[in-house]
Amino acid sequence: MLTRRDILRSVANGFGLVGLAQTLGAGAPLASRQPHFAAKAKHVIFLYMNGGVSHVDSFDPKPMLAKYDGQPSPLGNPKTERKTGNLMASPFAFSRHGQSGLEVSELFPRAASVIDDVCVVRSVTTDIPNHPPAMLMLSNGRNVLGTPSLGSWVTYGLGTENQNLPGFVVLCPGKPIAPGAELWTSAFLPGVYQGTHIQNVKDTDDPARLIPFLRNPRLDAAAQREQLDLISRLNAAHHEMRPGDAELEASIQSMEIAYRMQAEAMDAFDLRKESLSIREAYGSSDFGRGCLLARRLVERGVRCVQVFYGAGQPWDHHADIMMHQKLAPAADQGFAALVGDLKQRGLLDETLIFFAGEFGRTPTAEISVRQFLQNGRDHNPYGFTVLLAGGGVKGGMAYGATDDFGWHAVDRKVHVHDVHATMLHLLGFDHTRLTYHYSGRDFRLTDVEGEVIQGIVA
Amino acid sequence: MTGPRTLLVLLAAAPALWASPEDLFESRVRPVLASQCSACHAKTRMGGLRLDSREALLAGGNTGPALVPGDPDGSLLVQALRYEHARLRMPPAGKLDAAAITAFEEWIRAGAPWPETAAAAADPLFWSFQPVRRVEPPAVQDRKWVRSPVDAFILAKLEETGLRPAPFAGRREWIRRVAFDLTGLPPAPETVDAFLADSSPEAAARVVDRLLASPRYGERWARMWLDLARHADDRLIGAAPYAWHYRDWVIRAFNEDMPYDRFITAQLAADLLPDGRRDLAALTIFTESPSEVTDDDRVDVLTRGFLGLTVACAQCHDHKYDPVPTRDYYSLLGIFRSTRNREIPLAPEAEVAAYRARKKALDDWQSDLKQYQLTESMQVGEMLAAQSARYMLAAAGMDDAADLDRETLDRWKRYLARTDRQHPYLRAWDAAPGRKAAEEFQELVLAVIREKKGVDAYNRAVSLGFTTGMMLGKVVGRTMDRAKFMLWQDLLAEGNRGGGVVNSNATEDGILYYKGQTVERFLPDQRRRHLDGLRARVEAARGEVPPEFPYLLAIEDLPEPVKQHVYVRGNPDNPGEVAPRRFLTVLSKGEPPAYGSGSGRLELARAIASRDNPLTARVIVNRIWQQHFGQGIVRTPSNFGMNGDRPSHPELLDFLAGRLMDSGWSLKTLHREIVLSSVYGLSAEGVAANERADADNRLLWRAKRRRLEAESLRDAVLAASGSLDLSEGGPPLPLADPGNVRRSIYGFISRGKTDPMLMLFDFPNPNTTAEQRVPTNVPSQRLFLLNAEFMLQQAERLAARLTGGPEARIREAYRLLFQRLPAEAEMEAGLAFTKSEGRWPAYAQALLASNEFLYVD
Repeated sequence: MLTRRDILRSVANGFGLVGLAQTLGAGAPLASRQPHFAAKAKHVIFLYMNGGVSHVDSFDPKPMLAKYDGQPSPLGNPKTERKTGNLMASPFAFSRHGQSGLEVSELFPRAASVIDDVCVVRSVTTDIPNHPPAMLMLSNGRNVLGTPSLGSWVTYGLGTENQNLPGFVVLCPGKPIAPGAELWTSAFLPGVYQGTHIQNVKDTDDPARLIPFLRNPRLDAAAQREQLDLISRLNAAHHEMRPGDAELEASIQSMEIAYRMQAEAMDAFDLRKESLSIREAYGSSDFGRGCLLARRLVERGVRCVQVFYGAGQPWDHHADIMMHQKLAPAADQGFAALVGDLKQRGLLDETLIFFAGEFGRTPTAEISVRQFLQNGRDHNPYGFTVLLAGGGVKGGMAYGATDDFGWHAVDRKVHVHDVHATMLHLLGFDHTRLTYHYSGRDFRLTDVEGEVIQGIVA
Repeated sequence: MTGPRTLLVLLAAAPALWASPEDLFESRVRPVLASQCSACHAKTRMGGLRLDSREALLAGGNTGPALVPGDPDGSLLVQALRYEHARLRMPPAGKLDAAAITAFEEWIRAGAPWPETAAAAADPLFWSFQPVRRVEPPAVQDRKWVRSPVDAFILAKLEETGLRPAPFAGRREWIRRVAFDLTGLPPAPETVDAFLADSSPEAAARVVDRLLASPRYGERWARMWLDLARHADDRLIGAAPYAWHYRDWVIRAFNEDMPYDRFITAQLAADLLPDGRRDLAALTIFTESPSEVTDDDRVDVLTRGFLGLTVACAQCHDHKYDPVPTRDYYSLLGIFRSTRNREIPLAPEAEVAAYRARKKALDDWQSDLKQYQLTESMQVGEMLAAQSARYMLAAAGMDDAADLDRETLDRWKRYLARTDRQHPYLRAWDAAPGRKAAEEFQELVLAVIREKKGVDAYNRAVSLGFTTGMMLGKVVGRTMDRAKFMLWQDLLAEGNRGGGVVNSNATEDGILYYKGQTVERFLPDQRRRHLDGLRARVEAARGEVPPEFPYLLAIEDLPEPVKQHVYVRGNPDNPGEVAPRRFLTVLSKGEPPAYGSGSGRLELARAIASRDNPLTARVIVNRIWQQHFGQGIVRTPSNFGMNGDRPSHPELLDFLAGRLMDSGWSLKTLHREIVLSSVYGLSAEGVAANERADADNRLLWRAKRRRLEAESLRDAVLAASGSLDLSEGGPPLPLADPGNVRRSIYGFISRGKTDPMLMLFDFPNPNTTAEQRVPTNVPSQRLFLLNAEFMLQQAERLAARLTGGPEARIREAYRLLFQRLPAEAEMEAGLAFTKSEGRWPAYAQALLASNEFLYVD
């Protein structure tokens, strides 16, 4: 068994603790730790555009699509989930923005205004054009169930800075489609690294309704303090009879932290404490409010926040790509406000923002019989766009490219594994060494793949 | 003895040291082939390669010949050994030392002679694949310490390393430990008193026998298996209303001490056993895949659960570490693929038939009603569409509205005022409202409706028989121009108000769309009466449907087993050789025979539940041991492969595995042997001298203090408050239901929405097989203890249960919760806290939230 001194020593030695975490479940698994090497990024905010945003309608302009609108795709139609037909021009106009002159479509005018702080990676690929495996890949680095999520790995690696709040928070009003909670599971990592799912539903302004067990409905603060003092006395006496047991000591501390967490979370999750102008900047949508909550949490030292655009798979516009018009304003506003707000507060450098859906969409129109429209796009795993901002990533740049129509990544093609490797790198980790030994082998977020995309690291 | 470094020098300088290349082969090459390579490259032919004869090396594997006699640099074998090849690096667990590699080079340079000798027969296997050995307990110095044969094995190691076992736990500690351990509940105060008063040598055995005989035992130990079986009461999408029958079956199996070999066989093939009727619920385990993708899941649960082997790793490539070729994975998969899920009704046939008939009648009437309503809705919509111009003019105040429908007119008014239309057809009207524009618009509307009907009819025809979205995706239907479709949608679509897939702009009904009751005001009396009649039929039919009969979820064989191919690199579009349905090569004597008739489930079950299987008994013994001690003899309980842990006490593991099989696979006998040992009775206290040598307590010189698992914690709180309902079995209720005071194992387990308390206290993810729980210690758990309604309620009940004066109440609380009396300081603290009557619940809660309650020494 580890003594307290062992634990303190491993904390002092920084990363040493991670290797020990397995035996340390009982120790201080959430204590903040140093990564493998010095790095800028300390927090991650993952804005999950579940359902799959169309890259050719947002951040990857394809003039050739307009030129060949309605004609067969000269590159053929690679296998996707459903049948698709001819090429379809984007109904949305692109224009250049910022110093960098990056092109952004009219769906994302606010994001365009902060584009100089954003790295647009246009050559991402994933494996399977169906939601559950692709969602798992984006979140957990594998196409199948049973491995830990990105947020769990990050929290496992770095611990968290505020012991009065969960280290990894997930905001989603309702659940994303299956595999749902698997998208923030700690799987075989200790349960403390699992995302704490909070339903950030629009009409709930009261943190006590958002977070379970946060308030004692019977005892006031003074009475609870007295009760806690009694527990502490009993525990101290119990511990005295069992000297040197680090787990009992951790348990005693846990109770104290829990007591403090009641006040801390009431504050952190209370958007009413923001000024009206800030609240208006983020907008009143679930997603915008989620982005604002994410900023409040990161500001207080929470390690990782994952904000889903919405329940289900909202971006999944098979029948009519015009539907993007309905969803984009909230995503655009939340993202842009978050980038601007973090920058203004000097937190952008240490916060890595990741804006991504599980795949892109086809440049061709889908021609299934649903809804009698052929104005939508199917899933495209062969090439799509993700955005990164802050946390030591280069702003105002586009990395890689898809072909003339947006089918396949062709220039500096990367995989989701590479994006994960890069994110871990920006957080100070060699992704091949952030491992956990389970069932006889070392597991890691990037499975056996992944290369850091050096070209986007500032 | 010559060290590797010296050998290297000798070999390099004077190869003639060996009398002949044959000698070199026998002393330096063959032993390495046998110990490092043969597990994967003999019988199992990983990568298509055998390394057990010269011919085999020359023939090579998938990558080509392994050996070019006379040319070490050109031989793949050497390249792989040197770790120079781009992909092939062997052995995978780590490069051989330089001397060994040099020996291979020399041997090949000399022409790679391979004398046929008896030595070739020797084929040392990895420890876990070797047969379970017969072992006798070793001799020890301190024979008094040995209470059970188990102790001899533990003590021998301790004596060997010079470690002194910790003192024994007190009798109170011991009975609390064994009670929680065997039943997941604290011992009743009377039981403790009786035990403390019983000084006979059989006192402990009597306690253990009583605990093992209690139904509470199965309720505790079934959970270990249910974790492994990734059991839950629903699916990621959809329900599994009768999965609880499996949970009850597992509990019963433990309580009846069902022989473990039978326990295995029933889960794979109860339907094929002559006396299997009682065990049909066991078959549910392989229907419990969390999603429709079942392949990997079932092989994984089977092989990790029963065999401690990670066979699912071989889905895309030969196993990286264990002798499991991809073909073996597909051999097992073929067995599952040759089955299908089936519902076994748990009601008399007549009842089932009656239900099905009535249900069908109801479905038919409902469908008739829906169809009629749909038709009426559409007809009313078209009727109104044909009056579009009149409504538009009236809405604009250009015509009188006397005979128009009020609501429709309002809808038109709102619609004409909208600016976010997705079609251009009202632009003329917007620019110059008037009769001409209105009539042109009306004409267009009628044309669009006609077009839509044509498209619908065509699509219905081509998609006939396809009902799901995925299937529809394969059919090319006709579509409409977007603007026209939007127009149609604005007027006539039924609004899509929910659902995850946002495929339609229409979140609201079209302005001419009426359904249900609202459509009726447009209908002539006759039709309205017809509708009323249909509704009455539906209601009557609904009343006649009896409650659905319960059923078991099970698997059964397909009429014809499938011919399963290896999927090259795991890709079903790239089928390779046929993988015959049969057992794993490494666990078979010689080439495993293909299973003949049916799926082969029964043969598979027999091969697993066999005395000859080296893994089955070892794996279950280790699991039981792990539950008792907090760590297994092998600390990777579901991986006994190369990459798994090595046993700390291999002889003990074999001894217990042998005992288990000799006892007729009785798990209760095994428990008894373990918990009545000295090593089980040790105190959790540290011994300073041991901490340095074995801080991990791998040699078990003391007990491990453990936090109660989620279920035990909840059950113990309920037991303390006197609320625990001990009724057994039956359908699950959510644990969070305020009225649910049954044991936690009977709670509803959800794959997508884990109960918050279970989640906080380390309940494993029910979507994959879970080999052990990882206990954590985090503040959010303490928030539960401090604030959860459950804790507050139970604390109130506990407080209400305490009777007498303050001191008596405190004493009673300590006896109930901690099986002891309070010390003086504890009594004082309690009295000081409870100075007013209203403080008793808060006091009771403090005790329930204290470490002494949460931890078992």
